[in-house]
Amino acid sequence: MGGKVTCTLGEVKQRADFIVYWGGNPAECHPRHFTKYTLMQKSKFLPRGRKDRTVVLVDIRETKSAKAADHFLQVRPGKDFELLTIMRAMIKGQDVPEAQVAETGISIEVLRDLIEKMKKAKYGVMFFGMGLSMTRGKHMNAAALLTFAAEMNAFTKFVAMPMRGHGNVTGADVIMRWQTGYPFGISLNRGYPRYNPGEFSTVDVLVRGDTDCAFIIGADPGATMPKPAIDHLAKVPTIVLDPHVTHTSRLSRVHITTAPAGIAAPGTGYRMDEVPMPLKPALNSPYPSDEEVVRRIKEVIATKPDWMTNQPQMIESQV
Amino acid sequence: MSAVTLRLKQDPVVALEAEVITPDRFAEMSHEEICSSIVYHGKRQLRLDEFFDVEGERSDDLILHGDLNRVRHLGRAMTRGSLTAHGDVGMHLGAQMKAGRIEVFGNASDWVGAEMSGGKIHVHGQAGQQVGAAYRGSLAGMKGGLIIIDGAAGIEVGMRMRRGTIVIGGPAKDFVGLQMKGGTIVLRDGAEIRAGAWMQRGTIISLKPLNMMPTFAKSGFQNPTFISVYSSLLKPHGCELPNDASVGGYLRYAGDRAVPGKGEILVWQEHSAS
Repeated sequence: MGGKVTCTLGEVKQRADFIVYWGGNPAECHPRHFTKYTLMQKSKFLPRGRKDRTVVLVDIRETKSAKAADHFLQVRPGKDFELLTIMRAMIKGQDVPEAQVAETGISIEVLRDLIEKMKKAKYGVMFFGMGLSMTRGKHMNAAALLTFAAEMNAFTKFVAMPMRGHGNVTGADVIMRWQTGYPFGISLNRGYPRYNPGEFSTVDVLVRGDTDCAFIIGADPGATMPKPAIDHLAKVPTIVLDPHVTHTSRLSRVHITTAPAGIAAPGTGYRMDEVPMPLKPALNSPYPSDEEVVRRIKEVIATKPDWMTNQPQMIESQV
Repeated sequence: MSAVTLRLKQDPVVALEAEVITPDRFAEMSHEEICSSIVYHGKRQLRLDEFFDVEGERSDDLILHGDLNRVRHLGRAMTRGSLTAHGDVGMHLGAQMKAGRIEVFGNASDWVGAEMSGGKIHVHGQAGQQVGAAYRGSLAGMKGGLIIIDGAAGIEVGMRMRRGTIVIGGPAKDFVGLQMKGGTIVLRDGAEIRAGAWMQRGTIISLKPLNMMPTFAKSGFQNPTFISVYSSLLKPHGCELPNDASVGGYLRYAGDRAVPGKGEILVWQEHSAS
């Protein structure tokens, strides 16, 4: 296991004839996704557009996206991991008892039919949303879908892609990855990057209270994180960089208003398929950009003595 | 030669990474050398005696006192001696240890005995997540040795473990034996959902009924001979496995067929219950 099977949205638009949305509601959350990439576009390989594509929606309730899909599979809440694991077994010809399949909310006939169609597809793509990755099982639910997509490549081309949310979240992952080798959950306290989600990821560090300062750029943990994390943010010196006054700003010591990126500050935004998009500002802002503020803070810090007095001791192996 | 005793005198504000606290190092160190060992308080390199009162020197035995829940990497990669902690301990206790004994009279945090290959860890309280697991991106977790947790444990106990034995006294959370490749996990008080998910080989023995994954197949009701062997091996550590055929037997499940794997889950069932 390892690596990920993915592609760009351009490829989806040109080639994908089988599209699965799992635990997401693109009709309401990514309204341009259908029209720009997945459903409506005609291409050299899919000349009839929508008619050449099969769309499946898997979710716990019938959302507005269900209308746009050819097939809607209503999975029982908290059964995504089981369903994906059953599908992994079924594509390999393993026998799974009917009664146990039915516990996921989907009958074995529907599943057999779906797998048949998936194997016959020329180019399949699976998009997954927070309904999958933020419910019980979390990273393992996403791992189940990514592994399933990887294993489908024994039969036909299949890729998987997360439906990323608001702001430049993909950009943060991509930059961290080429700078340190890891996408998130990184500690640099030894002078070299170490990766361990659960130990170094923001929410866990804050919940345990393992930090004595917080620097938040373009995010609002005060509105989204669990109560103990928010309490800890209020306790320690918190610095927020944001164009707006957010929930986090209210509990911080310092709030620096910055120019909104893409509107009044230039930069690069990353699309959910990790394609960089240059952002050209349309307006002028009296406020500095995030980049300028961070650069000025860094310049001041650089004048202070180095905190790494000895050569750091490496902890052998990864962590 | 008396034991080296460390008493926490100042609570760390952030995580204290103290992989120096192992019998391997202290066995050959004088008192001054132990005191001047470097620990990482967040990013800052500080002397060990800024946080601990140190007694003794040059000993294979190490005794810790105090609430050490922010002190990480205790007994890391140790190959000899013993480490006893009176109080809670932090993450990565005994990670990658090869031999020796660790005993904790308190709770432990995540990654207890991660990727260990030998020795024994006994936690009298509860443990956090990923007991005896593999680190992210690593192919194999625990490769040998024995971990005993008297209390409850978090998710992903024995994730990708290859050999060795884990005994959990209290209830365990989700994903026990996730992607397991060998070894044995004993659950004395059952587990929450998805036990044995994606396992390739290895054995999970549960003395309480389990919520099985749909991709496991029932394969008989039996009293395997090895249970009595395991029971006699675990008896000195305070854990016995029932194996009296007149009282009950083990329901055997094989899987995980998604992989497809050859792992087994044995669930104890008394005759009266069936």
